[in-house]
Amino acid sequence: MNLTYVLLQNLKRNRLRTALTAIAFALPMAVFVAALSLVVAMMGISRNNEQQLRLGVRNRISLINLMPEAMRRRIEALDPNKERITAICGMRWFGGRVPGTQASLTNLAADPDTFPLVYPDIGLTQADYDAWLKERTAAVIGRSAAEQYGWKVGDRVTLESTVPPYLSLEFKVVAIMESTMRSNVFYIRRDYLDESLKAAGEAYGRCNVFWIKTTSVEAMRQLQQEIDEMTANSPDATKSDDENAFLAGFIQGAGDIPGLMRAMAMVVVFIVALVAGNTMMLNFRERTRELGVFKAMGFQSSRVMGLIVGESVLLALVGALLGVLPMSALLYFYPTRNLGFGPIGALEVSPMAIVLSMVIALVVGLAAGLWPGVQAMRLRTVDALRKVA
Amino acid sequence: MRMALPIGYHYRNLWVRKTTTVLTLLVLSAVVGVLTWMLGFAGALSSSMAMASDDHKIIIIRRGSTAESNSAIPIDEYNQLVQVGNIAVSEKTREPLVSPEVLIQVSLPRLRDGGTTRANVAVRGVTEKAFEVHSNVKLQGATFSTGSPEVIVGLAAAKQFGGLNIGDSIRLGFAGDRDYKIVGFFSADGGPMESEIWGYLPALMNAYGRTLYSSVSLRLRGDADPQAATSQIAGPPIEMDGKTEAEYWHAQSKNIRLYLYICYALVGVMCLAAVVSIANTMYATVAGRTREIAMLRTIGFSGGSILGGFVLEAVMLSIVGGVIGCLACFGWLKFVGNTKDMFGANTFTTLAFEISLTPFIIVLALVAVTVVGALGALLPAMRAARVQVVSALREP
Repeated sequence: MNLTYVLLQNLKRNRLRTALTAIAFALPMAVFVAALSLVVAMMGISRNNEQQLRLGVRNRISLINLMPEAMRRRIEALDPNKERITAICGMRWFGGRVPGTQASLTNLAADPDTFPLVYPDIGLTQADYDAWLKERTAAVIGRSAAEQYGWKVGDRVTLESTVPPYLSLEFKVVAIMESTMRSNVFYIRRDYLDESLKAAGEAYGRCNVFWIKTTSVEAMRQLQQEIDEMTANSPDATKSDDENAFLAGFIQGAGDIPGLMRAMAMVVVFIVALVAGNTMMLNFRERTRELGVFKAMGFQSSRVMGLIVGESVLLALVGALLGVLPMSALLYFYPTRNLGFGPIGALEVSPMAIVLSMVIALVVGLAAGLWPGVQAMRLRTVDALRKVA
Repeated sequence: MRMALPIGYHYRNLWVRKTTTVLTLLVLSAVVGVLTWMLGFAGALSSSMAMASDDHKIIIIRRGSTAESNSAIPIDEYNQLVQVGNIAVSEKTREPLVSPEVLIQVSLPRLRDGGTTRANVAVRGVTEKAFEVHSNVKLQGATFSTGSPEVIVGLAAAKQFGGLNIGDSIRLGFAGDRDYKIVGFFSADGGPMESEIWGYLPALMNAYGRTLYSSVSLRLRGDADPQAATSQIAGPPIEMDGKTEAEYWHAQSKNIRLYLYICYALVGVMCLAAVVSIANTMYATVAGRTREIAMLRTIGFSGGSILGGFVLEAVMLSIVGGVIGCLACFGWLKFVGNTKDMFGANTFTTLAFEISLTPFIIVLALVAVTVVGALGALLPAMRAARVQVVSALREP
């Protein structure tokens, strides 16, 4: 007799229980695949940030304390032979919003010349960078911002700054970035901003942050120390951090969603393990006699155990699929990036997250079947046959 | 008379199936643990917002700006604000209670992660009048002097961010070259201002080279209509954006509420899973005891008492699970940490919360878990109540 056949028959025997267990498995697994997708996406972003070797330099007091643009030359002077620094891109917060709306975009003015060198990883082509370099009012925008406002390449877009002196400027969209972490970002050129500030009689030539693309981890760590030492006790004392450390403060400020998702993922695994374990214990209890019959018929103990563990794994996988697939489809067709809410925008279902969810389900199924399985193995045939449910 | 099944019967029933009972209990505890944490956070947010709902306090920012931190109001425009009708008058100085304020920020280490990450904490420059306009702000000890660089710190900020003890100094100023000594603390009934640092307005404006105020808060007389005041502020000649305190903070906490909605959705899904899990356990219980149930019917227990009995059994289980979950959450908050801070939607400065389990939250969580247990048990209990006595007794 085929083992698989017995497995399937067993699952069909108490259809209600199979269905309930599958639902109790599917619901948390749906949460799990979403949580895991975010964790996986954040890990990818964090790994990419590590590889990009960017160092962020800001004023030690706070990000709103501006630094003079001459800081770029001072930092460049630390590396006269151009061995450690690839390029430095100064950035200033513009905080623009579409007139009539409340929320401002992550809207930054970047040094046009070095922007392509410091950000080669944001999903732009050489043609995009050329357009950025050529067009003074160029804007490079994230996918979510583009979708939200219906902007296309070539569109002219007016943004109102939400920070003093509240300039209103027109930009031309030259490219749309596919970078997950920059979904809501709207880069503009700092030379254009400065000219506009100058024309309005406002102070210009200052930056909130300098992003330095370095050539190696050692170079980055050295520069981090050298820059902070160079500026210590000066009006422009700085705090330098690598990109992940720089972002960590913001992620905390947005409620630590990755932390929440990690915690959720763990709670969910705990819950599904208990649900599966419970069902298998119930099955085992009710079928003790039957297992005794199998043994009496000459089934080896290991096969009896296989029967139980197999059923548990099958149930777990079916339950997981029922949760993982609909959730993945939901997130695929309704991406959360348009919620425009911190790292939640990075949530994209990846095949990796789906595969990992199924692996976890497999492991949980194995673990849940193990204890009843071992008990079944140890079962003395005589006792089992004598047992009254 | 209808006879109920004795509690002891259910208690022993739960005990007989130890493994299943414990596994179900743990599912419930995990769900309730997460639920209470979220209710605690939602509670902390709403109590903080409830403390910032003074209808007679109007917060005025520049039209087109989104928060105090990115607003700028020239001094001559500020002077126009005394025209607003029905402004309350200071009891001490007899001046109208209009408080010009400047809002800046300082990056401070978070204590909960040992300073690995830093938070943007709001620094508010105020004058004497602010203490009468923001009437829930109460000094705990000394206040800053107007002559020397001193600040006072809100209790929530002092608890969550590093280097904010009395006697410590923080660096402020456009060039970051001025040390401000911390001389006292203040409370604000747990409202958002408790996450701030306050200093003397002219000194801070000077330190940051500012000639503009950020925002203006004013207090209306008790009999004034706040909506009339805000529409007067919006209209000519003032043309600024005035909101009551509640409206202002409602807008600033939009992102935090969104965060909570995400949390609720996740917990909701888990609660459903718990319902299904209980149903599963109870179906098994009922199936395993069909003969017993038939016996109970034979000796005179009605279908209704059997239904009630099984629901009660599940509810007992749920409440025990709920208590364990609450205890787990309590332990987590006590030993792992109960602090959290989040940016306001547009402020760019952080609001510090302390999550605590109030009796209300515990009751709410237990009610929720009772509902979960009862819902899960309902269908199995109905099956138990409908057991066909004769055929069930005949079963092997």
